[in-house]
Amino acid sequence: MKRMLYFVLTICLAGLTGTMAKEKSGKIFPYEYKKVVLPNGFKAILIPFDSPGLVSYYTVVRTGSRDEWEEGKSGFAHFFEHMMFRGTDRFPGNVYDSEVTSMGADANAYTDDDLTVYHLNLSNEYLEKVMDMESDRFQNRHYTKEQFQTESGAVYGEYRKSRTSPWEVAFEAYRDMAFDKHTYKHTTIGFERDIKEMPNMYDYSVSFYNRYYRPSNCVLVIVGDFNFDKVSKWITKYYGPWKPGYVAPKIEKEPAQTAQRKTEVTYDGKTLPLAILAYKTDAFDVKNKKFLALSYVSDLCFGETSPLYKKLVLDEQKVQSLSSNAAMARDPYAFEIYVQVKNAADMDYVLGEIRSAIKQLADKPVDAKLLDELKKRSKYQFLMALDNNNSVAGILPRFVTLTGDIDVIDELYTASEMITPADVQDAVKHYFIPANENLVTLKGK
Amino acid sequence: MKTRIIFSCVVLFAALFNMAVQAMDKDRVVELKAAKDATIAFRIVFNAGSQYDPVGKEGLSYLTSRMLSEGSTTKNSYDSVLKKLFPFAAGYDISLSREISVFTGRVHKDNLKPYLALFTEQMLMPAFKADELERVRQDALNYLTNDLRYSSDEELGKASLYNSVYKGTAYSHVDVGTVSGLTAITMDDIKSFYNTYYNRSNFTLGIGGGYDAKTLETVWKAFEKLPEGKKAIAPVINTQKVEGYKVLLVEKKAAATAISMGFPIDLVRGSKDWYALAIANSWLGEHRNSSSHLYQVIRERRGLNYGDYSYIEHYPNGGRVQLPMVNVPRRHHLFEIWIRPVPNETAHFALRAALREYQALVAKGMSKDEFELTRKFLKNYVLQYAPTSSKRLGYALDDKFYGIKNGHIAMYREMMDKVTLEDVNNAIKKYLQDKNMAIAMICDNAAELKKNLASNVVSPMKYTSPKADEILKEDELISTFKLPILEENIQIVKVDEMFK
Repeated sequence: MKRMLYFVLTICLAGLTGTMAKEKSGKIFPYEYKKVVLPNGFKAILIPFDSPGLVSYYTVVRTGSRDEWEEGKSGFAHFFEHMMFRGTDRFPGNVYDSEVTSMGADANAYTDDDLTVYHLNLSNEYLEKVMDMESDRFQNRHYTKEQFQTESGAVYGEYRKSRTSPWEVAFEAYRDMAFDKHTYKHTTIGFERDIKEMPNMYDYSVSFYNRYYRPSNCVLVIVGDFNFDKVSKWITKYYGPWKPGYVAPKIEKEPAQTAQRKTEVTYDGKTLPLAILAYKTDAFDVKNKKFLALSYVSDLCFGETSPLYKKLVLDEQKVQSLSSNAAMARDPYAFEIYVQVKNAADMDYVLGEIRSAIKQLADKPVDAKLLDELKKRSKYQFLMALDNNNSVAGILPRFVTLTGDIDVIDELYTASEMITPADVQDAVKHYFIPANENLVTLKGK
Repeated sequence: MKTRIIFSCVVLFAALFNMAVQAMDKDRVVELKAAKDATIAFRIVFNAGSQYDPVGKEGLSYLTSRMLSEGSTTKNSYDSVLKKLFPFAAGYDISLSREISVFTGRVHKDNLKPYLALFTEQMLMPAFKADELERVRQDALNYLTNDLRYSSDEELGKASLYNSVYKGTAYSHVDVGTVSGLTAITMDDIKSFYNTYYNRSNFTLGIGGGYDAKTLETVWKAFEKLPEGKKAIAPVINTQKVEGYKVLLVEKKAAATAISMGFPIDLVRGSKDWYALAIANSWLGEHRNSSSHLYQVIRERRGLNYGDYSYIEHYPNGGRVQLPMVNVPRRHHLFEIWIRPVPNETAHFALRAALREYQALVAKGMSKDEFELTRKFLKNYVLQYAPTSSKRLGYALDDKFYGIKNGHIAMYREMMDKVTLEDVNNAIKKYLQDKNMAIAMICDNAAELKKNLASNVVSPMKYTSPKADEILKEDELISTFKLPILEENIQIVKVDEMFK
């Protein structure tokens, strides 16, 4: 099996090598995978990988801070991620910890807007044991009110730690301003006022778990050195009894933005002035050409090789940093540009230059050769990132949460390859309009 | 006929290759082949770390490294280099640490030839343009005066600790330099540093992944064209012994207090003692792991902060990385405790809690159960340290630095079977102590904290929610736990005075 996989990988890479320029469609994800789907809706994606003795075990919950739709509950998905380490009756927190410790496994978790991911890297001899423990905590969580309240202190500590960054301060203000109804209004860590109230929300935490930690809302991804037949049986054994019961969050749709929004914030320390300039876009949709073209806009307009970067960062040296993010989100979100200037007096000039660089992309189609180079780069970037079982597993949760699966990776690759200079131009004209714009500027003291 | 030509070519190539290999200084080449790897990783290690900065020119090694990695060459402007690298999704960088600078790169096999041309050109033909020096200088100054002083109190705490423990040595300043040092550096300084330290005798070539012999030969030959020179001699680091409890309070407006503390230990990886002490350290404070005892006491039971860890080896970038970085080797290390920011009103309590647990370990050593669990954990956990060719190559180069013949990770695993509980407890007695400790705290009201620390005032804990009796009883012991801190050993510094 391992040999066969290597063969598949080689063919894929050879395909990229020989026919890179001509290739118009094909597969980018170089590994074979199989799926196990249980009657309760639980899905596992199993990817054998040549990592002798090692396995990565990722459980993706398709719930993040986006799902915190009730008033005063921001930050709860992340808080709940912490609570999942407090254990069950069979494996209380200290037992879970000591089991993981004795295995020498590397276990952790993270949360963002659209997902919560629990991940372990372990020796494959412990795979069944880990499945027993992981499936148990997803079905039978148990923690006391006191443990719950204690953990809220750790979450507050995490907030305080991050809050020293001026970017965090600006980002929180931007999201609050840009969204009125949708839960993207708050960041994943949540509003401070809600974090302060967390110790009083034990009952809500039970409800949160009961609604979202259900088999149809979770996908298991295993990458590494394992026996497919054995693992399939274990999945049925350990995840089969998990009762369905997922209740979808009642997230309000964000009304279309009709006018430019802006705000200024002050940072309680010293920093170079910075800005977040964001344009509202669509939800991830592999069939939406305009949306897919945005990922190219990111490099073309704001990347290290863009004329704007050369002018502002390298030649004029007015800008300390310039970057952007064409986010792939479950619901309509935004294209974000981050800029930090060296002198406050240059901020308006720099924002003007950013807007005129965008206008140039709207006025004139991008050079086709440049776009081809960008496509080539994207492919190599993706392939070079897949250098071990954990890195393969690590890139998948985003796709899992967006679509419930990873088949979309190849679809996305094929569709992105088809994007033309005219598509890029259309996308810029469509999204980058004043009515979609949100601007937050931040100054230090 | 065709077969014979191929055969002849192979023989001829082999002969040429042998000649080349003979010319190569094998002691200065570290190879890590992984034939299946579709990428090739390079790590060229120069003895050009921040310890070589001249006094008054702190930051010279850093600016030189940035000029090399983010500057033009005599053939290509920097933006043209970026454009050429762009389609390969490959780049290169120089990472600077105390002892070494490492020129790193990684590329897909398909793009090796054009990449290699740029990779070597960057190091061999730097243009050293004045406007580029100003760009990297401003970046560095911004890092010191804004980012480090204000935007990450955890990093500030660590930098303040090293500043104070290594005061007066080449290990004291932040790798990026000091404000006055960076400001004083001229282009002539940069050129001189480059000629002195980026010379043909002062590097070790590391290559890993799916490369062939020809590639190795090409890279070696290219780097042989560097300026002539000698292998750098590392400066002597005369660390002053920490006498008693020395506290540095760095004052700034902050909602939470970050704490770092420690003292120098005369121990580096590779000896049995190091692995024995690693077991004790892992139990006390395994980095970003809930198995850490300090984490259990301060975060898990009391919810005071985000995490609490300890180290017997320098561990940069701890806030961002889960596993140790490679190629940041040092001849001198601290034993170090890292308490992530705690609410200001609990800072004294948290400091006491951490030192009380630490002192208990020093006094009692490890128990049999703790020892067994921890060594079992480490034996498997270290397997996660080097999952990629590039990381394994990094370890191989570090093995060379520390003189570990069979490799650190292999030795780590072997030692987890060989080391006994007695070895661990002996190592604790030999290397750890609780009489002397340097403490750095990033805090808001320094005068009040100074008064409280010096007077050993009771620091009661108040929780917003009920706690078990067992925890409350222990809190009483913690809140009155005496710390031997004398008023004259507490220094207050305003944050803007740091790194000047």
